[in-house]
Amino acid sequence: MTDPSTRTPTPFQRRQFLRVSALAGIAAPLSITLASCAASGSGPTTAGSGEAAPATGPTDADNPFGVAEGTVDAVVFDGGYGTDYASFAGDLFAELHPGSTVEVTASTTIAQQMQPRFVSGNPPDLLDNSGAGAIALSAIVDSLVDLQEVIDTPNLEGTVIADTLYPGVLDVGMYNGKLAAINYVLTVYALWYSESLFEENGWTPPRTWEEALTLGAAAQEQGKYLFTWGTEAASYYLTLAVDSAIKEGGDEVRLAMDNLQAEAWSLPAVTDVLAAMEQVVANGYMRPGGAGTQFTAAQAQWSQAQEALLYPCGSWIENEMKEQTAEGFVMTGAPSPTVTTDSALPYDSIRNTPNEPYVVPADAANAAGGKEMLRVMLSPETATEFARTKLASTIVRDTVPDDAFGSTALAAQIDMLEAAGDQTFSWNMVSTYGMTAEVNVLWNSFLSGESDAATLAEGMQALFDRIREDDAIVKIEIA
Amino acid sequence: MAPTGPLTAARAVGAGSEQPVTGTGHRPRRRRVGFDRVSMIVVFLGLPFALYVLLVLYPFTQAVYYSSTAWSGFSDVQPFVGLDNYARLASDDRFLTALGNSAALLLVVPAVTLTLSFVLAVLVTFGGSTTGGVRGLSSSGFYRVVSFFPYVVPAIVIGIIWSQIYNPANGLLNGALTSLGLSRFADFAWLGDSDTAMPASMVVIVWSFIGFYMVLFVAAIKGIPAELFEAARLDGAGRFGSAVHVALPGVLGSVRTSYVYMGILALDAFVYMQALNPSGGPNSSTLVITQQIYTTAFSQGQFGLACAMGVVLALVTLGFVTAVLSVSRLVERRLGA
Repeated sequence: MTDPSTRTPTPFQRRQFLRVSALAGIAAPLSITLASCAASGSGPTTAGSGEAAPATGPTDADNPFGVAEGTVDAVVFDGGYGTDYASFAGDLFAELHPGSTVEVTASTTIAQQMQPRFVSGNPPDLLDNSGAGAIALSAIVDSLVDLQEVIDTPNLEGTVIADTLYPGVLDVGMYNGKLAAINYVLTVYALWYSESLFEENGWTPPRTWEEALTLGAAAQEQGKYLFTWGTEAASYYLTLAVDSAIKEGGDEVRLAMDNLQAEAWSLPAVTDVLAAMEQVVANGYMRPGGAGTQFTAAQAQWSQAQEALLYPCGSWIENEMKEQTAEGFVMTGAPSPTVTTDSALPYDSIRNTPNEPYVVPADAANAAGGKEMLRVMLSPETATEFARTKLASTIVRDTVPDDAFGSTALAAQIDMLEAAGDQTFSWNMVSTYGMTAEVNVLWNSFLSGESDAATLAEGMQALFDRIREDDAIVKIEIA
Repeated sequence: MAPTGPLTAARAVGAGSEQPVTGTGHRPRRRRVGFDRVSMIVVFLGLPFALYVLLVLYPFTQAVYYSSTAWSGFSDVQPFVGLDNYARLASDDRFLTALGNSAALLLVVPAVTLTLSFVLAVLVTFGGSTTGGVRGLSSSGFYRVVSFFPYVVPAIVIGIIWSQIYNPANGLLNGALTSLGLSRFADFAWLGDSDTAMPASMVVIVWSFIGFYMVLFVAAIKGIPAELFEAARLDGAGRFGSAVHVALPGVLGSVRTSYVYMGILALDAFVYMQALNPSGGPNSSTLVITQQIYTTAFSQGQFGLACAMGVVLALVTLGFVTAVLSVSRLVERRLGA
């Protein structure tokens, strides 16, 4: 007789065990690949079914949107500007509306964290949809509140907000006639350089691409380069090219680009700019190795090592490189060059596409609170505090004193805007349709000399065509 | 006693033998369903199964369903489009490139990693002096620790470290190469050149896993009776002969398991690729499916399409696992014959 407990496993059991482990082996890959794209939570539910708290209360002059007691849920991108400015506004909000508080949540992966909340109809009351992990706005535009109401309301000091803003700063947030986003931080796109270095050598920032080539030759004599770039930020050169082409060719170019038109990359102005840039690359004026260099390391080659003279970037560059800027580097900006001296827009015209798009989802439990928070942020007290602490201007005018808090880059930004007057322009197709990754691939090849202007234009056009012809992607008509 | 005898008899004894054993031809009596048994079934079978259904099977089916919709991922509207997403994938250059790159990783990474791991395992177990007892290289313990070390470092850290090593301007690699007099590597962008980006990325993955699989193979080789190695040596087999004819057949089971795991890792590779070349590398040469799924879903707001990519990746993975299992079965059969 055999005692059951000491029975040796029969072959049958062993085989069964193997079969089970094989199944587990098959299940493991499935769980990695498939589970990753499943929606979390319980799937779609009806909108706005969340908390029972009253969404709005009575309205009056001090409370134009009828904020009721409760909490405002604000999710703010924790990037170059941090989130403390939002907390500052939140404190002000709580003072204005006793019984209400603003809960500011910092996030660096907006799309990943917000996706389940949008699907389950429980989005935040105010969202700063910014950073590399931002949601493609075209994907959520239909579920956002029209913020025109906020702009038409007086700020905390009684002036209508619309009258306190820089010109044209709301264009970028207009989606098919609806003000879906208010981009909070003024951002001008320019060529940044060290004024001190340029003065020492008697250089001036290039006004045309021809001058850029001359400057490149001068740089080369000193063992320096004209430009440098980083692999994740190759798209900054797309910005430079498009800005330059729009200045050269005017509105026609801007509309063709922003509406992803079929001939956008074969317009003469665009072709001319790309040809000039191809020459820059061919002459060896780009610092080599950019396609394999992390972008902040590349930027330090410009601001710290000063191996490159110019860097095309948005005005956040000063804040971003604060810790890695050489002693005596007087950071200043100049508008991007044109092709000819009789371009459609003057040399002084500049792209002004504000950043940090704030949106209020329509399903938000406390949408009134979200709008009121924006009103507080767009009032002089918060806007001035932002400028003072971040050395960057919000879209609210006259918050930066003449000395620009001692920041040469901020002063240059304000100077460039004043010189441009109403000749500022804006475009935003890259972030609207989430094209950055593909743009970087094409531009890295171009800037490192692996491809030429024709290949680049062809690749960009193919990317435009694919998105334009894809009916699944919501299109934003730009006028 | 008949074949089923011992079991039946044992049961009968266990049950108290109030009934005489009637011999063969009768199924054993069903046991009483007691609390112990029920609770065991609930806890050890029911609960895991429920979790499995909830966390694995349900998301699978959900993802497969989403793959047939044009869901943006950010709304509750999920227009049904049938197999449209799959048709789009078939003509989506970027996806096909990613699929090709993932396939390249799948072909190269497991094979190279496991070969190198096996060689190292052989060296530290019986690759030492051929006189005296069978043993590994001297101070093999040290090598074991050193080569296991990368496995302890998280993948994202490995990615960041290596992207610094590959840095064109001041990275270790170009520094070493230029100081050897190879001036053409000054400012050479290992991760920025479409010829070198993929091999450079593969090196990183291989580097980080060699140690782990070496330890695994060492354990497996230790499981082979030492007499076999001694016998082989008496028969005149050198280190190579012993490795191929004694060690390899002995660790075949481990190789199969490792191959499956390493293959799945190669098909994923997300963290490494995202850290080394977040936008997919020069000419998309290091773009892998998982990265493409991520951008399609989160930056482009096309969850339906992303799910379809996920389903394709799952099918590729299934195909791979099936292939590995059947090949290893064939090999085993041949070795057994």
